[in-house]
Amino acid sequence: MLEVRGLCKYFGGIRAVDQCSFTVERGSITALIGPNGAGKTTAFNCISKTLRPSAGEIWLNGSRIDTLKPHQVTRLGLSRTFQISRNLEDLTVLENLVVQSRVPSWRALFGPAVAEWEREKAMEILEFLGITRLAHEETRSLSYGQKKLMDFGALLMSDPEIILLDEPAGGVNPRLLEEIVARIRELNARGLTVLIVEHNMDLVMRLSHKVVVMAHGQVIAEGAPSEVQSDPLVLEAYLGGAQTLPVAPTMEAVGHA
Amino acid sequence: MSTNLDVGNVLDARRQHDSSLAREKRAGRPLYVPIVLLLVLAALPALQLIGGYNYVLHLALYTMMYVAMASSWNILGGYTGYVSLGHNVFFCIGGYFSGMLLAYFGVSTILTAPFAGLAAAVIGFGIGLVTLRMRGPTFIISSIALLMVARILFDNWHFVGGANGITLPQLSLDARWMKIPYYYAFLVIAAVTVYTSYRIKHSKFGLGLRAISQDEVKAESAGIDTRFYKAFAFAISAFFVGMAGAVWGEYLTYIRPNIYLVILVAANMVLMCILGGKGTVAGPIVGTVLLVLFNEFFVATMGASELNIMGTGIIMMLALLYFPNGIVGTLAQKRRLPRFLDWD
Repeated sequence: MLEVRGLCKYFGGIRAVDQCSFTVERGSITALIGPNGAGKTTAFNCISKTLRPSAGEIWLNGSRIDTLKPHQVTRLGLSRTFQISRNLEDLTVLENLVVQSRVPSWRALFGPAVAEWEREKAMEILEFLGITRLAHEETRSLSYGQKKLMDFGALLMSDPEIILLDEPAGGVNPRLLEEIVARIRELNARGLTVLIVEHNMDLVMRLSHKVVVMAHGQVIAEGAPSEVQSDPLVLEAYLGGAQTLPVAPTMEAVGHA
Repeated sequence: MSTNLDVGNVLDARRQHDSSLAREKRAGRPLYVPIVLLLVLAALPALQLIGGYNYVLHLALYTMMYVAMASSWNILGGYTGYVSLGHNVFFCIGGYFSGMLLAYFGVSTILTAPFAGLAAAVIGFGIGLVTLRMRGPTFIISSIALLMVARILFDNWHFVGGANGITLPQLSLDARWMKIPYYYAFLVIAAVTVYTSYRIKHSKFGLGLRAISQDEVKAESAGIDTRFYKAFAFAISAFFVGMAGAVWGEYLTYIRPNIYLVILVAANMVLMCILGGKGTVAGPIVGTVLLVLFNEFFVATMGASELNIMGTGIIMMLALLYFPNGIVGTLAQKRRLPRFLDWD
């Protein structure tokens, strides 16, 4: 469904992403992991066109998207969240959601800011996330976790086919994390494709069907969580030597050390 | 016997409880305030029947013109967050567009004002596509540069009279009624501008603009065509300023670069919005009325020297010390805004 071919992004002389290629299958949960500075978020930003790739191609559903503008990518069904959740602080939660919904026509552009069907849809999403009571609060008065939830809800407003989550577990308490994991699973079960960048290895191993490991801007391993965990290249990238992964070690991996 | 709990009811109750907790902004706006205001302003020229109130009419006309300009500026500077210090360029374009038509063909600027606005909007759209790629201080500087370029252009363009400008024909009316047509023209322009500003704030377009003012990267990733939204906001904001410029030229009976292209005009629009509260509907109006009144007061008491400007400056400073988001903006944030000013 999403295919990245030979993606490169240079910042001056630094090759943040270097010849990175991987695919995300329809209906899967794919995780993009790697040590700090591996170029995960940069790759992510290139896919959603927040950054302009230096080279390479990105295909979504058979159409090339690396030549489009970010808002056009969103309208093709690819929505994303940001690592540091970026919200529109002066807008209410409801407005934050509605901003993401597609404007059907020129006339609607000058119609009411929140149409009736959008209000209903947004309230439904807020209910799904259990934060209905926050609908009319200004976003700046929300807690960090609530903002993360809202960000997640806002994604769903644009009827995406694939969502890109940048560190959904970052700075979230364990209970809320369970909540988010459950929601991601539920949405995936309804057919939504998910691509996650995440540091929390435990979460990645439990949630994803496929893991893509990056180091130094390149993809060094790709496969099911259990395979990747025992890959010597991956272990080396993470720890500089053949050892176990930091979290969720398997007996096998420990044995190899 | 097992008790069969009816979960559906509980869920319904919770849903209702949740939505009752969600505080919705109270509906119903004080519609009577703008209506009364319009009626009073429309009736004001009747004063001329009982005496010479040209000064009062001039002051009201001047205020209405700046209400239109400040509200118009607010669409770009307040909602979208792009502070333009060169907006009087469109004031000038509107003035010269209609002024030249009047000078050569004798068509009243009141009739051609909408076309002058359109000309300003088209040029604004084009300029916006280029300059709105910059953000923050860089954009402000680019807008000042635009003003300087326009000043040089108009000062040296002989067809439109260069730095001396051109004189416009006057209406053959008695001095007592001389101001009336322009007065009503500005009343209509101000009313339409404020209404448009209100409609935009509550439209999808306005929501998009507000999103852009908060975080442009996020807005773009939310699926908003930020480049088009910004340029379109720039065009609308140039439109009303251009219209005001058209009528202002004929009212003064001449057009000349140094009545339009001085930074004071742009600074006035900005200060009025900041004083009243940028990004609110009523803010520019409150700001304009206060600034015009203070200006007149200080000119009357301190003379039209440098001192009066200092007086106005001190008032501005004091106001912003206590109302950092402008008068309407700060009061609304503290939920202390009197209902008659709550136009948002």
